[in-house]
Amino acid sequence: MKDRIKEALKKTTADYAEIRVETEETTHLAYRGPEMESAGAASFCGGIVRACKRGGWGIIVFDSLDNLEEQVEKASLCAALVGEEKTELAEVRIVDTQLPAQLENDPRGVSLEEKIRLIKSYNKIILEADQLIESSGVTYGDSFRTVHFANTRGTYYMEERPRIYCAFYATAREGSLVQRANDSFASAVTYDVVVGLEEKVHDVAKRAVSLLKAPKVEGGPRTVILNRRMGGVFVHEAFGHLSEADFLYENPQMRDLMFLGREMGVESLNVVDDGSIDRTIGSLSFDDEGTPTNKTYLIRKGVLAGHLHSLETAAKMDAKPTGNARALDRKHPPVVRMTNTYVENADMSVEDLFAGVDDGIYACDAFGGQTEFEMFTFSAGYGYRIENGKIGDLVRDVVLTGNVFHTLKMIDGVANDLEISEGAGGCGKSGQAPLPVGFGSPHIRIRDVVIGGEL
Amino acid sequence: MRNSLIETMTDGLQKGLDTAKHLGASAAKIGFYHQEKTDCQFEAGRLKDTGGRESISYSVEVLVGNKKGNTSGNRLEDFSAMIERAVTLAKVGGSVAHFDAYPAPSEAATVKTHSNKTLSLSREKMIEACQQIADELKTYNPDLFIECSASRTESESLLLTTGGVSHPARRTHWRLGAFVQRTADTDMVFAGHSRGWRDLTAFYDPGVIAEKIITDLRRAETIVPPPSGKVKAHIPPETLPRLLWPIFMGTNGRNVAKGDSPLAGRLKERVLSSSLTIADDPHQDYATGARALDDNGVPTMKQTLFDKGILKCFLYDLDSAGLAGATPTGNNRSNPHSPKITPGERPSGELLAEIDDGLYIRDLIGFGQSNIINGDFSGNLGLGYRVRNGEIVGRVKNTMIAGNLYEILKHNVLVSSDTEYQGRYPHMTVEGMSVISDR
Repeated sequence: MKDRIKEALKKTTADYAEIRVETEETTHLAYRGPEMESAGAASFCGGIVRACKRGGWGIIVFDSLDNLEEQVEKASLCAALVGEEKTELAEVRIVDTQLPAQLENDPRGVSLEEKIRLIKSYNKIILEADQLIESSGVTYGDSFRTVHFANTRGTYYMEERPRIYCAFYATAREGSLVQRANDSFASAVTYDVVVGLEEKVHDVAKRAVSLLKAPKVEGGPRTVILNRRMGGVFVHEAFGHLSEADFLYENPQMRDLMFLGREMGVESLNVVDDGSIDRTIGSLSFDDEGTPTNKTYLIRKGVLAGHLHSLETAAKMDAKPTGNARALDRKHPPVVRMTNTYVENADMSVEDLFAGVDDGIYACDAFGGQTEFEMFTFSAGYGYRIENGKIGDLVRDVVLTGNVFHTLKMIDGVANDLEISEGAGGCGKSGQAPLPVGFGSPHIRIRDVVIGGEL
Repeated sequence: MRNSLIETMTDGLQKGLDTAKHLGASAAKIGFYHQEKTDCQFEAGRLKDTGGRESISYSVEVLVGNKKGNTSGNRLEDFSAMIERAVTLAKVGGSVAHFDAYPAPSEAATVKTHSNKTLSLSREKMIEACQQIADELKTYNPDLFIECSASRTESESLLLTTGGVSHPARRTHWRLGAFVQRTADTDMVFAGHSRGWRDLTAFYDPGVIAEKIITDLRRAETIVPPPSGKVKAHIPPETLPRLLWPIFMGTNGRNVAKGDSPLAGRLKERVLSSSLTIADDPHQDYATGARALDDNGVPTMKQTLFDKGILKCFLYDLDSAGLAGATPTGNNRSNPHSPKITPGERPSGELLAEIDDGLYIRDLIGFGQSNIINGDFSGNLGLGYRVRNGEIVGRVKNTMIAGNLYEILKHNVLVSSDTEYQGRYPHMTVEGMSVISDR
């Protein structure tokens, strides 16, 4: 493949061109209620050519690998139609490498029967956990993506990007009230991540039942402590997307707003994106433009310290590429995305964090989150009241919202128990979802967060 | 299509059904899909990229006893192997099938989904349309960050089943839209509008897209405090599909049969306001959701889901119908193809004029992350306005709305006589929307 795609690139008339050819093999198994809901497998291949001429891009997506030269030519012609300025793409070191996956327990070596047996057993745990359990869902999936990338600068890499995950939910019903709890686990390293989850599965079933009895959280501004998963979603949604330089580089007002050196929060707040962490689902050796991944400080000591870049945004913002140009798959061009985004540990204990709250909410885990830059909304999987520094009763429908610039400044405590989560979901942007990302945080305390809820 | 593949592929795909049977499948279906797309994107108000894509894919479903196996792919050389894999999946304990055969061919509606006029939409014309939108938006405000996009797609598909269905279909589609961001220090306004249709008609109108966005930006120029408590809300057609999504999760026959829908067991009961009649109409020519057969070869049909608020039916694909002991309704994954709300008697302007103090909900952030199948929702107003004495007086910020959709749609719902361009969604006014803000 290396020779074929490098040869095809020789035909380009563009200032810069790249080819990414991918194959992907996937398995998907799911239980829903007492029965197996789906059993599927897929095998796809294809690629994408991007060409840049005088700053304009031509993008051709194809399935057939028969005539790569023609795809390069088409992309080059499209780019020539667009470009009217100057091609500005940052330089990175040329690489030529092959990076096979380093799997500890390869899911391809586990039989279908065994995978089905595993999720069947988890499903049984949910259905038998309580009489109020109405329905269940357990999904297993694995994918094995092989990426071949080459560009006209001479870079070539092959990287295998495996992923294994298990997600499960429980639905409990009492009368017309329905409540759901869920959890998921994923790995880029081993099938073992989906094994031995019996206790976690049982916890989810019990939580769904407990939520039936839990009151809705009262709406209004409250002091909130985010658990580690929720903290990770918060920093990804509320702040991480704002750091993506493709939202900034051609928008002067946004560049003014997100200038490096801007005070964002307390001195104990440090936020990092790091795609080079060893083999997590958000990690990769090279991004989809051939840039090595890096650790990038986004906030350091409470001050805006960096942005996430592609080759183009880095060149146009006079910055270094950070290795954050990522594509969901062979059908999509790379856009600036997060990898593993987390809040670094500070020196407060979790106990001290809670001790400072007389009346608040402990928001745990996350159903999801969405941002429109300054505004964010995200839903906790569940929550508890905090009364006089102690965790109190379970509450449901905990949805947090706010303005990121205000909310980051309202963080007044960061604990020392960082955990980076790897779940089955992913990040969405520009129609590309779900992109595997890792996220994490120690427990963090935020004053004056608006909690949604019925009045 | 530039290169139609259906004719050359049909024999090979048909042989796939025979292969599945030879391997032990009692029934099988094969779908083939081929698409060509041309598109362009504008960023920061100017042309950023253009290109095209060509893709093919196939899907295989087999039944072995009462178990199903599914595979898909795009490498034709792997086709036989993927059939074999589907059979293996079914044999080792694949998903439970609640039907034992694909239906025989039966009479289906004639629905127009392909237009040569749409094919006349060239790359240059799409770039021109995006440029017009960008220019009009820049004229309104040169500091806007403007993104525009347009695409034209042509596709062909073939469905083959052991029930005897051999259904080729051709489709065209265009899409044109824009999205803008206005930033002033930390205050940001986002507004967007897009349109899509299978035929190239007057719906393809860059001027309307720019005008809709400018209207939203004008309304958002002033920031006002939100109302408080439980208020009336006006919901325009652009927001309704998203807001009504939980209702269609409720009418999903699979969710009903699996015990996940709060509407289970409530057929013939009035669950929504008597002003709400909601149907699924897959037979509107050139609509995005228009189609004659579903993915199992079952003819699609027009169906009334709620008649003056009374729940009339659930939607079922072939398997879900078997699970529920119901008749398949020709709905893929038991979802509506093209929902439609019957318009009311009075224009939207009159409905808005009757709101003393309430909200106009233009966009929601995070809607759908709550316990949505139960109807509970809680979301941030991405773009919303305050209505006072029947007029929009400005934008509200840092404001969440919450409630239970079934409760809100049960009481005092007003539906407008005017709809969006496709004639599917009117404006709606509801009561009892909880508003929470940081005031």
